[in-house]
Amino acid sequence: MKTQRQIVAFGGGGFSMESGNPLLDDFTCSLTGEARPRICFLPTASGDADHYIVRFYNAFRDTAFPSHISLFRRERGVGNIRDHLLDQDLIYVGGGSVVNMLAVWRAHGIDDILHEAWERGIVLCGLSAGSLCWFEHAFTGYQNETSLVTGLGMLPFGNSVHFEHGSDRHRQFEKYLSGVKGEEAPAGEGRTVGFGVTDGAALHFTGTELAQVVASRPEARAYRIDDRSGKIRTTQIATRHLGSPAHVPLVAPPSYAWSVPSALAV
Amino acid sequence: MVSRLLLMGGHEFDRLDGNEVLCDLILELAGTASPRVCLLPTASGDPDDQISRFRRSFGSRGAEATDLSLFRLGDSPVDLETYFLAQDVIYIGGGSLLNLVAVWGAHGIFELLREALEAGVLVCGQSAGAMCWFERGITTSSGTPVMADGLGLLPGSLCVHYHRDPERRATFLTEIAAGAPSGYGADDQTALLFEDGEVTRAVSARAGAGIWKVTGGQDGKATELSLEVEDIGRSEVSSGPASSIDDFRELNRWRTGPGIGRGR
Repeated sequence: MKTQRQIVAFGGGGFSMESGNPLLDDFTCSLTGEARPRICFLPTASGDADHYIVRFYNAFRDTAFPSHISLFRRERGVGNIRDHLLDQDLIYVGGGSVVNMLAVWRAHGIDDILHEAWERGIVLCGLSAGSLCWFEHAFTGYQNETSLVTGLGMLPFGNSVHFEHGSDRHRQFEKYLSGVKGEEAPAGEGRTVGFGVTDGAALHFTGTELAQVVASRPEARAYRIDDRSGKIRTTQIATRHLGSPAHVPLVAPPSYAWSVPSALAV
Repeated sequence: MVSRLLLMGGHEFDRLDGNEVLCDLILELAGTASPRVCLLPTASGDPDDQISRFRRSFGSRGAEATDLSLFRLGDSPVDLETYFLAQDVIYIGGGSLLNLVAVWGAHGIFELLREALEAGVLVCGQSAGAMCWFERGITTSSGTPVMADGLGLLPGSLCVHYHRDPERRATFLTEIAAGAPSGYGADDQTALLFEDGEVTRAVSARAGAGIWKVTGGQDGKATELSLEVEDIGRSEVSSGPASSIDDFRELNRWRTGPGIGRGR
C-alpha cells in the first residue's frame, strides 16, 4: 500500500533536457517501488506538442508503461481522465507555459485529480512548468515580466526553476518571497519561504518536507530561501549526485525547443 | 468603425472543397492590397503544422501572415495590444473551445480582441474559433459533444461542423429544445458575417453546405430553418470527390490520434 505523498520537482533536466542522462528520471521512477512503473505524461504546458510526446515515449517505452493525456484532443484520447491518472505509479508533467497549463488544467478539473493522486501516493514529478505547478507560488518570467503565479499548492513554498544564484531574477524572486507565509525552517533559521533549483537538480519532497536534493550533474545546485524575522536569506542545500554518466550537454527546456520538427508531421 | 466578425462552420488551410474561396473572401473583406493577417492557434495548442499551413495559404495570396502563440510568449515577448491593433485580419483557429476560453482568460485576450474589433480589425474564426464569440457552443473539448460557454460577445449559440458531425447536431438540437439560447448550425465551408452584431451576409463555398437558424418551439422541440446563403463556391473546386475528403480526414485522424508509440 503506497500512502507516502511524494513530489520530485526538477529545476530542469530529465528526458526533456538531458537526452542520454537518465539519472533524474531513473531516480524518480525508483521512488514508485515498481520495477516497471506506469507513467502518464501531461504535456499540457507545451500545448500537447507532438514532438515532445514522441520524446517521452522514446525515453520510457523500454523501462515503463508510458501513456499520455492530451487535453487539446480529448475526443481521441484516454476516455476517463480521472480513472486513468489514478491508475498510475508516476505522473510526469512537461515544461512550457505554466500560466497556460494551470488555466487548462483548471478547466478540465485536472487540479483536483492531481491532489487526489498525491494523497494516494502516486509520485508526481516534472520540470520547468511541471516543477513550478506543485508549489503555492510559481515564479515565472513570462513576457519578460517576472511574477508569482498561484500553483496547485501541495507544497506551501515559492519555487524558481532554471535558477541562477545571484542573478537579477534571483533578487526579484527574493523580493516576492518576503510576503509569503512558508513553513518553519531548520532550527533557528526562521521560515522557509521558497526554493531555487538549477538545471540538473531536483527537490524530493515527502509530504511537504524536503527529504533530499538529488542531481544528475556535478554542477547542479539547489537553494533554500528563508525569512529570518523579515530578512530574506538564500542558502545552498547539500546535493547528492546520482552518478557519473558520460557528460552530456543540456539542451534548452521544451518551451524553447519548438523548432524541433514533429516526428508525426506529414 | 463597424466591428466585423466572419465566423465559419469549418475551414482548413488546404485546397479542398471551397477552403480557398473562403481565404479569398477573408482577403477581399480585409480590403487592402497586402493585408496583415495573424493567426491565433490557441485552441489547438499552437501546433507547428497548423501555423505553417496558415502561413503558406495566406502568404501565397500576398498577405503578411504571422502568428501569435500564447504557448511561446515566454520565448518571444510581444506587446499584445499593439500587435493586435496593427493587424488587418485576426484569424482564430479551431480546436478545444474549453482550452481556448481558459487560456485567453489567463492572458486577457478577449478584451484585447474586442478592442481590435472596435478599431476596425476584421476578426475571423472557424470551429472553436467561431463558437467562442457566442454565449454557447457545442464542443467536444471533453470527449463527447456538450454545450459549453463561449465569451458571449454575440447573443445565442453556434454549432459548427453541422452535418459532418451528426452527434454534435443531435446534442445541439436537444439543448435548444431544452431551453438553451437559439442559434445557428453551420456546415463546414460556410460563413456568417456579423457587422456590429447583426448578420449581414451568409455564404456557402461548397455545394450542399448550408446554415440553419435553430430555435426552440413551444412544443419542446427544436426547429431548423434553412438560411438563404450566397453561393460563393467556384464550380471547378466545389463538391470534390467524397473519397478525397475521406482520405484527408483519415490522414488527420492518423496525424492527431492517440496511441503514439504504441505500435499503431
